[in-house]
Amino acid sequence: MGAHISIPMYQRAVPQRYRLVGQRCLKCGKVNFPPKAVCKYCNAGFEFEEVTLSGRGTVYSYTIIAGGGAPPEFAEQAHCQGSYPVVVVELEEGPRVIAQLVDPPPAGITIGMPVRAVFRKIYEEEGVIRYGFKFRPA
Amino acid sequence: MSISVVSYGVYLPFLRLRREEYVNALGSCSADIKEKTVMDVDEDTMTMAVEAARKAVAGLDLERVGVLTLASTSYPYQEKVMAGTIVEALGLRKNILTGHHGSSTLAGTEAFLSAAGLLVGSGEKYALVIVSDAPVAGASAEMEHSFGAAACAFVLAADEQGLELEGFYSCVTESLGLRFRPAGEKEVRDIGVRTYSNQAYNETVGAAVKGLLNKLGQKPAGYRHVILHQNDVRTTVALAKKLGFGDEQIQEGLVYGQVGDTGACSSLLGLCRVLEKTVPGDKILVGSYGAGGASQALSFKLNCRLPGRSESFQVLLEDKKYISYTHYLKLKRSI
Ligand SMILES: [Zn+2]
Repeated sequence: MGAHISIPMYQRAVPQRYRLVGQRCLKCGKVNFPPKAVCKYCNAGFEFEEVTLSGRGTVYSYTIIAGGGAPPEFAEQAHCQGSYPVVVVELEEGPRVIAQLVDPPPAGITIGMPVRAVFRKIYEEEGVIRYGFKFRPA
Repeated sequence: MSISVVSYGVYLPFLRLRREEYVNALGSCSADIKEKTVMDVDEDTMTMAVEAARKAVAGLDLERVGVLTLASTSYPYQEKVMAGTIVEALGLRKNILTGHHGSSTLAGTEAFLSAAGLLVGSGEKYALVIVSDAPVAGASAEMEHSFGAAACAFVLAADEQGLELEGFYSCVTESLGLRFRPAGEKEVRDIGVRTYSNQAYNETVGAAVKGLLNKLGQKPAGYRHVILHQNDVRTTVALAKKLGFGDEQIQEGLVYGQVGDTGACSSLLGLCRVLEKTVPGDKILVGSYGAGGASQALSFKLNCRLPGRSESFQVLLEDKKYISYTHYLKLKRSI
């Protein structure tokens, strides 16, 4: 998450970052997200149909990033929030994705907790806002 | 051709700041709010716009959305096509007519009316209007105490049953020194003379509402709800009463006390709230305002119930977390 991503590289992934566009393998039927050249499930399928994921899923695992441990592009966020949770979400279509969780419940995050994707600023660099998805308790 | 709202969506940020936080930190609060909405560090008017719009277009055939208009006084960029973010986030078609409205809190109804006009002119089926605002003033400005954040979105349809736009009327006049922001600055200013700003508001909004009633041959009693722009409740209520509306017509549309001054959203957010309490046959009057100054009055009639919402306005008002004034200043990047 701390690696610099150039603007053209970010731009190419806009459909998946903004609205979770993935691909269904025409050979095995599994959904790849993010999209791949060859299906990661059957290792054989290379033809896909585009699918927009619902953004609904459950927490598969999570961790809390302490303020001091935040990569530089998240420094401003750490300044405001102290620490913030990062979750691995199992989407209802199957893929597991990693993202931040916003508005965590006061009682704490639990494995299996239902969440949904929300549209947020991920970070800003060179005056350019990088939007993408985070999750929120559903 | 008739133009009707066929669905809508509302987004309120999760964070809230109570009036008492100002009183405790500064000794007083110049806004007669109970609390107000506050964007989190990773929110801006575009992220709020996307969330409100996603609710509005749920279940809609996106291929038939041919018009997209936006309104905000506080876009995250001063120059860039903001509609691009919306088109990608929602998966709208790329052949879409756009309109970006800003520069005053009039922008909300401006975007609404321009979408209606583009719909008529283009022959498209649906238009999406997104109004998302979070006005900004310096921490030392009194005006700042009331500034909240919210977004609402409307799907307009040509020749379909819904909340029909019956008519509109505008009043534009030069008025100086009221809620303005010089080029290149981030924070709005005001000369701060309450009687002067109230007079401009009363004259401008009053003229638009009266003009609309005359044009349509309607009387205040013909409306179930009236919603006027709210940058403080007392002035709004006093004007509505002076125009001949009663408490029961005014109260439902008052959202200011719980969200604050939401700029371009103000009157349209009130519209979203009253829509839940409206039955077919009811008429609603909306009066927007932008300092500088202008007002647009819109008359609506509900012809059939709009699709049910996953969460009521009340649920959105209760889904919240209170923050301290110190946390608020951090979010405003003031400390
Ligand atoms: Zn496969």
